[in-house]
Amino acid sequence: MKLLLIEDEKELALSIQKYLTDKYFVCEWVDTAKAAIDKISIYDYDCILLDLMLPDGNGFEILKELKDQNKTEGIIIISAKETLETRIEGFNLGADDYLTKPFHLSELLVRVQALIRRKNFKGSNIVSFNEIHIDILSKAVKVNNNKIDITKKEIDLLLHLIGNENRVLSKSAIAEHLSGDMADMLDNHDFVYAHIKNLKKKLNEAGSGDYIKSVYGLGYKWKNE
Amino acid sequence: MNKKLLNKTLKTYLIYSVLILIISAPLFYYATKRLYTKEADDTLLLHKKEFLKYTASTLKYTDIALWNRFNRNAKIDSVKQVTKDTLFFSSYYDTLDAEVEPYRELNFPIILKGKSYTYSERINLVETEDLLKNIAILFFAIISILLFGLFFITKKLSLNLWKPFYKTLQQIESFEIDKTKQPDFAETDVEEFNRLNTSIQKLIERNTVIYKSQKEFIENAAHELQTPLAVFQVKIDTLIQRSDVTQEQSEILGSLNENVSRLNRLNKNLLLLSKMENDSYSDKQTISLTNYIQKNLDFFTEQAKAKSLIIKMELQKDFEIKSNPVLAEVLISNLFLNAIKHNIEGGQISIAMQENKLVFSNSGQPSPLNTDKLFKRFSKSNPSEQGTGLGLSIVKKIADINNWTVAYNYENNLHSFSILF
Repeated sequence: MKLLLIEDEKELALSIQKYLTDKYFVCEWVDTAKAAIDKISIYDYDCILLDLMLPDGNGFEILKELKDQNKTEGIIIISAKETLETRIEGFNLGADDYLTKPFHLSELLVRVQALIRRKNFKGSNIVSFNEIHIDILSKAVKVNNNKIDITKKEIDLLLHLIGNENRVLSKSAIAEHLSGDMADMLDNHDFVYAHIKNLKKKLNEAGSGDYIKSVYGLGYKWKNE
Repeated sequence: MNKKLLNKTLKTYLIYSVLILIISAPLFYYATKRLYTKEADDTLLLHKKEFLKYTASTLKYTDIALWNRFNRNAKIDSVKQVTKDTLFFSSYYDTLDAEVEPYRELNFPIILKGKSYTYSERINLVETEDLLKNIAILFFAIISILLFGLFFITKKLSLNLWKPFYKTLQQIESFEIDKTKQPDFAETDVEEFNRLNTSIQKLIERNTVIYKSQKEFIENAAHELQTPLAVFQVKIDTLIQRSDVTQEQSEILGSLNENVSRLNRLNKNLLLLSKMENDSYSDKQTISLTNYIQKNLDFFTEQAKAKSLIIKMELQKDFEIKSNPVLAEVLISNLFLNAIKHNIEGGQISIAMQENKLVFSNSGQPSPLNTDKLFKRFSKSNPSEQGTGLGLSIVKKIADINNWTVAYNYENNLHSFSILF
């Protein structure tokens, strides 16, 4: 899978690039609109991460360019601009998702994964990890082919954990992911613990491996035993 | 008590007039009386001259009794002896009117055919007292008419004179720096009022500029902070992935992470506040608050679970308001999360809808909160808590821009926040 990151803030770009690069992803980075348009014209990407404010132009111009070239890449806008108008304009110009800065890298990663899943959707939409199979559409989880009773929030959490396999997820990253729009008003992140506990219990009871590890003082990590 | 400007001038006029009246009325009375007494004296003295010139020389001794008989007000007395002219007040009983009446009397000695007598003549003052009374009444009447005239003319004149002032006053009163546009003062024909208007105009212009730049500053600052915050956030995210992090470092990173997340919330809420001030949320729709609460109840219940709170709800079937949907949601979420955050272990929350009122009540600290600070930015009941200190000021701001009223009260150990739509 190939990603293109268009971001002029070098420090931010390097960290994103590092986090997203793994066995599935290759992440290329450009820092100007011109370079971005050059790249887009030559190569195809699975997903484009686009900052709206670039030194030599507006991110919307890149969206228009993509539209003109009939490109169907998945596009996630990552911007510090957060108004309803820019969101709507972004979506109208063909963006698939919108992430406001600052964000957690884990959040960006699951959004990229979800977008690619949607784009490559071929009849079924299943995320698997060893004996665990998650059907995204029907919101069902099977462990060793047995369906388990699980809430929507827990599926969300499970996808977040699996998507960030082998990476440490901070409590606040999980809390912000789970609370969505409400995150800005939420001061207390203790509810994450209860969700993790429940999820762990349900998976264990169904005979799954103990993949959720606590990382002292920081949060949690999904790790293959 | 404050008095109106007009009443103040009028009052001074009135006091002055009444004072003048009180002082001048007796003065006038006595002056008139003196004048009249002098007139009476002059008459008496004239009569004396006449008597001495025309009567005395021809009056015979035998005529005296007859003369006395036909002169009601003059007498020639042989018993009374005076040595010189004396004028004095006296009173006699008038049989006709059956009352004692005041007189002015003149006594003087005369020699008739070598024998000394006392001539006395009197003038009745009654009629003149009546005259005096009438004059006094007339005087009062004239002065009163004059005063009333003065009073009304002044009032009307002042009213006209101060008209531009009241107009300016009204314009300033209705001016709100964050809402209305700057007042436009009309030119007047009074220099002082023009000066006043120009000064106020300048003051308002200056303040509006300062207010605007401050507003912009907050929004720009919050915006500019987002990129470094984003870098900060991803760097921590990157750092915590390292496998060689010790337990001590891990604790520090955890704390950093929580604080960057708090900083982030603070920044987002500041942005929200300044966006509201910039009218970014002016489009309104009809929204069912009941639906919104029910839709997000799972989320709130989940948050309440950590404190084992009991949530009681008396929701109306369709509680609709007209508002910007984003703001309505922020309002409810803030009120709900506020009721959870400041609650005690095992406490309760109740949400009630009555007509056009929404009330969130919660148990909490056993004393009422300081209402002066409650809705101010960054005022926290407990400074060490994780909150941003912006929640309730956002609630207040949302209410303000929609013209709703927020009220707080403490009753039966419950803290209640009510919104009147």
